[in-house]
Amino acid sequence: MARSLVGFTVLLLFLSICESTSFFQPISDSHRSAAVELFSPDHGSFKSLEETYEALRTFDVLGIEKKPDVTATACRLVSETVGSSSSTLKDLFYALKANSIVKCKINDKAYQGIITRLNAAVDGASSLPDFYYSVGGLLLVKGSKGDVHLADADGIFRSVKAFRQSDGRWRFSSNSPESSAFAAGIALETLAGVVSLASPELDQSLISTLNSDISKLFDSIEKYDDGALYFDDKLVDGHDHQGPLATTSSVVRGLTAFAAVTDERLNIPSNKIFGLANFFLGIGVPGDAKDLFNQIDSLACLESNRVSIPLILSLPSTVLSVTKEDSLQVNVNTVLGSNAPPLTVKLVGVFTSGSKAASLVESQELVFDDGTGMYNLNNLPKSIDVGSYTFVFEIVLHEPEHEKIYVTGGQKKVPIFASGLIKIENAEIAVLDSDLGSIETQKKLDLAGQNAVSLSANHLQKLRVSFKLTTPHGLAFKPHQALLKLRHESKVEHIFVVGNSGKQFEIVLNFLGLVEKFFYLSGRYDIELAVGDAVMENSLLRAIGHIELDLPEPPEKATRPPPQPVDPYSRYGPKAEITHIFRAPEKRPPKELSLAFLGLTFLPLLGFLIGLLRLGVNLKNFPSNTVPATFATLFHVSIGAVLSLYVLFWLKLDIFQTLKLLGFLGVILVLVGHRVLSYLAATSAKLKSA
Amino acid sequence: MGKFWVIFVASISILLPFLCNSFSPETPTDRRVLVLLDDLAVKSSHSSYFNSLKLRGFDLDFKLTDDPKIALQRYGQYLYDALILFCPSVERFGGSVDVAAIINFVDSGHDLIIAADVNASDLIREIATECGVDFDEDPSAMVIDHTGYAVSETEGDHTLIASDDFIKSDVIIGSKKIEAPVLFQGIGHSLNPVNSLVLKVLSASPSAYSANPLSKLSTPPSLTGSAISLVSVVQARNNARILITGSLSMFSNRFFRSGVQKSGSSTKYEKSGNEQFLTELSKWIFHERGHLKAVNVKHHKVGETDESALYRINDELEYSVEIYEWSGTSWEPYVTDDVQVQFYMMSPYVLKTLSNDKKGLYSASFKVPDVYGVFQFKVEYQKLGYTSLSLSKQIPVRPYRHNEYERFIPTAYPYYGAAFSTMAGFFIFSFVHLYNK
Repeated sequence: MARSLVGFTVLLLFLSICESTSFFQPISDSHRSAAVELFSPDHGSFKSLEETYEALRTFDVLGIEKKPDVTATACRLVSETVGSSSSTLKDLFYALKANSIVKCKINDKAYQGIITRLNAAVDGASSLPDFYYSVGGLLLVKGSKGDVHLADADGIFRSVKAFRQSDGRWRFSSNSPESSAFAAGIALETLAGVVSLASPELDQSLISTLNSDISKLFDSIEKYDDGALYFDDKLVDGHDHQGPLATTSSVVRGLTAFAAVTDERLNIPSNKIFGLANFFLGIGVPGDAKDLFNQIDSLACLESNRVSIPLILSLPSTVLSVTKEDSLQVNVNTVLGSNAPPLTVKLVGVFTSGSKAASLVESQELVFDDGTGMYNLNNLPKSIDVGSYTFVFEIVLHEPEHEKIYVTGGQKKVPIFASGLIKIENAEIAVLDSDLGSIETQKKLDLAGQNAVSLSANHLQKLRVSFKLTTPHGLAFKPHQALLKLRHESKVEHIFVVGNSGKQFEIVLNFLGLVEKFFYLSGRYDIELAVGDAVMENSLLRAIGHIELDLPEPPEKATRPPPQPVDPYSRYGPKAEITHIFRAPEKRPPKELSLAFLGLTFLPLLGFLIGLLRLGVNLKNFPSNTVPATFATLFHVSIGAVLSLYVLFWLKLDIFQTLKLLGFLGVILVLVGHRVLSYLAATSAKLKSA
Repeated sequence: MGKFWVIFVASISILLPFLCNSFSPETPTDRRVLVLLDDLAVKSSHSSYFNSLKLRGFDLDFKLTDDPKIALQRYGQYLYDALILFCPSVERFGGSVDVAAIINFVDSGHDLIIAADVNASDLIREIATECGVDFDEDPSAMVIDHTGYAVSETEGDHTLIASDDFIKSDVIIGSKKIEAPVLFQGIGHSLNPVNSLVLKVLSASPSAYSANPLSKLSTPPSLTGSAISLVSVVQARNNARILITGSLSMFSNRFFRSGVQKSGSSTKYEKSGNEQFLTELSKWIFHERGHLKAVNVKHHKVGETDESALYRINDELEYSVEIYEWSGTSWEPYVTDDVQVQFYMMSPYVLKTLSNDKKGLYSASFKVPDVYGVFQFKVEYQKLGYTSLSLSKQIPVRPYRHNEYERFIPTAYPYYGAAFSTMAGFFIFSFVHLYNK
C-alpha cells in the first residue's frame, strides 16, 4: 500500500514536472499514433482474445481505420471461440465483446448454444468474475440478437450483491477476504447487465440501495495535488493487484454502465467525475497496450456518461509573446476531443505568480472563433507585462439544463508565461581607482553585438560592470540569471551575481578583497556576462573581452586553485614513438692505411731474405743419409705444421682445438727434433775431434 | 548457421542461471538486467527504451525498489549482469540491496545505469558520488538554459533543454551523427576533476546554470556553463560501465516521440535525438561496442617463425598481436592506426606504432636495443570509449657471446702481418741455422 502510494506520488511529481503546467490536454493525435504502434498484431493476430478486443475497442474509440486483416483474423478467432463448446467463459466473453465491434457473422444456432451455456453459467456462478463474464456475455448477445432475458434476475442481483462489503468495496468471491475497488467496478458492471437483462423490470428499491454503496466507494477515492482523483486497492498480496489505472478504469466502467441503466440520478459530486477525467488525461500517452486501452476505454465511458460529462479546458500555448502580440487561445472539448456544447469562456482574473495581489485585469469574455473552434483574447491586456502569471478561466454554459449534464471543474488556473524583448541600455565596463573612486578607464558595451574590451587592473583597483534592463512597457525587469563570469587562463572560474536597484544593474568587484578568492592568480581573465530569464526573449551570453590582472605574489600558505578537469581527448591517444639510440661503433682508421702498414710489416722479412742471399747461405749441412734426412724433413714439416696451425687458429679454430692439435704436433716435433739435433750435434763433434 | 544460433541461444538460456556473470568473451550474450523502479508506471511510460533493450536480446527483470525479494547475488553468484536504477526518489532498497552491494556489483565488472531527477534521494546521490559524479546539492535545483532551451508551447520556464554538445567519440554514441538535439529536463551534475575514468557525454551549453527556477538567485549557482554534465559515463578499470544522468524523463516515451526545436534555430526536428542517443549509448554501456580483446600475441626473429626464448642485443625481431572488437553478436577485427608496442625495461627503450592488415592483425618489427637485461613487450592501449588493453610479456636479452664478435678486424692486419712474417722468418731461419756450412 505504502509502496503504491509512494510510487504514485513519484509519478505525480514526475508528471507535474514534465507537464509543468497543471492542466490536461484532451486525447490527441499522439494517442492515435501510439495506439497503432502499441497494438501491432504479431503475424496478423493478437496474443489473446482479450488483447484483440482491447485493440479493436481502442481503434474504435480513437476512430482509427481498422486494417482489414485485423478484422478478418479477429472474426476468425471469434467464430472459432463461439463455435467451440470447450472455450472458457472468459474467452467467450471477450469474443462476444470483439464481435460487438467487428460485427462478424454468427449463425443463430451458435447463438442458441451460447445463450444456453451462458444461462447455465449464470446459474452455476459462485464468484464475481463468473457472474461478470456470463452476465456480460448475455448482455452482448442481447445487443446483437435482441431476445435474451434473465429468468431469475432478482435472485442473481441478490447473489451478486452478497459480495458487497460495508465500505463500498466488493469481494471477488465469498471465500476471499480481500475487498477491492477493482471488484466494485466489475460488480457494478455486472449488476448493470442484470438490470438491463431482467425481463420483468427489477424492483427499483433494490437498485437504489446500490446508490449509497457507490457514494461510499467514492469516499475512498484518493487525490493528487493537481486535482486528479483515482482509486487504488490496498492489497498486501501483490498477485491480484491491478494498479491504480486498471482499478480506476474498472470503477469508471462499472459506474457509467450502472448510471446508464438506473433511472435515478446517482448521488456523485460532478467534480469527482472531473477529477477522474483529469487522472486519465494526466497519464499522457502510456507506453503499454493495456494501459492505453484502460485509459481510452475509460475516457470513452466518461465521454457519454449519464452522471456528468467532463469538459476540458486547454490552451494550445501557454507561452505568449508580449512583443509579438500573441493572442490568448483557449480550447474547450470533451475528454476525447470532440466539440463542447455552446458556452462562454470567461477570463476571471490574472495574477502575478507567487504574489497575492489583486487581479490585474477586469473579468472579460473570450471571443469564440467559428473557424478554429477556439476562444480567443486577441490582445493581451495592457497591464500584462513580461512575467509569469496565473490566468483564471471559468466556463459558463449557455443552456441551464446543460449544467446537469456537463461538469466544467469550476475556475481553472493556468500558468502563463508572457515573454518579451527586454531593452538593454547603458552597458558599461570601467576600472576604478580604489581610494578615490575615480574612473581610470571606461568602455561602452554593446550587449546586442560583439565586444572585445581589453582592460588592465591591479589589486588596488576595482572593476565595475553596469547595465540597465527595461521591459517593453518601460518597467524594471529583474532576470533570474544575471551572472558575471571571470575565467582565468588556467580555466579557474569565478562567478558573481549582478545585483540591481530598480532598472539599474551594477556590480563592483574590489580586487583587494578578492585576491584570496582569485588564488593570487595574475594574468588574463576573460569576462562573460549572462543575462537570461524564462520570459526574456533575448536572453544572452556575451563574451565582453578580457582584463589583465596584476595581483600580488601568493604568500606561503595561500590556498591552491582547485584542479581543473583534464580534456578527455588529450588524455589518451598515441604517444610519440621512441627509437633506441645504439652505441656508435668505435672509430677505425681507413682500411688502406691498415693494408699499407701490413705491407710494411713484411719489409723486415724481405730484408732478412735479401741479407741471407747476400751472405750466401747454403744448405750443405743437410744430412745426406736417408734416415737423418727423413727426420730433418719431418722436423721442418712439423715446424711448418705448427706454424700453419697458428694460421688456422687465427682463421677458424678455437683455443681448445688448437691446443689439442698442438699437443699432438708438439710430441712429434720434440721426437724428430731430438733425433735431428742430436745427429747434427754428433756430426759437428765428430768434425771437431777430427 | 541459423540452426546453430538457435541451439546456442537455447543452451545459453538453459545455462543462464549458472552463467550469470559479468561481460565475458565466452558468453557475451547472456545478459540479464535488473530494473529497479519507484513505480511500475515508469515501465509503461518509458516502454520504448525498455523495448529497444528487449529487442537486442536483454532479459529485463522489473522490480519495485521496496520489493523485499530483490537481491543482486545469491550464494556468491551474481544473478544479473547489469542494473538499471530508474528510481530517483528511493530512500532505501528492499531486500539485501544497498549502496555497498551496488558498488560491489560494479566492482565485479557489472554495468549500471542511474537516472536521477529533481528531488533525487540521498541514496541515489550517494551511489552517484561513489561513481565520481556529484549532483547539485540543492534538492530543488534544475538545469536552466535561457538560450539553449527547447521551444515549447507549454513549457515556459526553460528547464526543458535541447542539448547537442555530445562527446566526440564514435564508439560511445555511435558513428551515425545525431542530428536532432537531445531533450533533457532534470538536475545537473559535475565531474570530479581528478577522476580520469568519468567522461562527460552530453554537456550543457555555456549559458546553462543549475538553480531552482522558482526562487530568486541570490548567490552564484554552484554549477554553471559547460561544466554542467547532463549525461556522464564511467568506465571502471575492470571495464564495468556506468551511465549517470540527472533526468529520468529523457528516457520516457514522451521525450522519445516529441519533436524538438532549439531556441534561436529555425530547424524543427520531427523527433528528438533522445532515442538515437540513449539507444546508442546503451549499446556502449552493455558492451556492444568498444569492447576489445587481444589474442595471439607472438614475437620472433626476422626470418624465423618460432618464438625465441630470448634475444641477443641488436637482433631484428617481429612482434604481432590480433585485436578484435565485440559487435554485439561476434568478434570483428578492430582497425585503427594507434596501437603501440613498447620494448620496456624500467622505461620504454623502443616505442613503435603497430601496422595492421585491416583484418585485426597488428605487427611491427624493430631491432633489439644494445642493452641487455630482462625486457617486456608491452601493449598499453587506451582510447576514449574503448576498454583498455594491457598486455605484457617478459623476454630476456643477452649480450654477444665471446665468439660472436667480429673476427678479422682490418685495423689489426699489421699485427697479424707482423706475427706471420716473423713466423715465416723463423721457419727460414731454422733451415739456415741448422744446415748452413
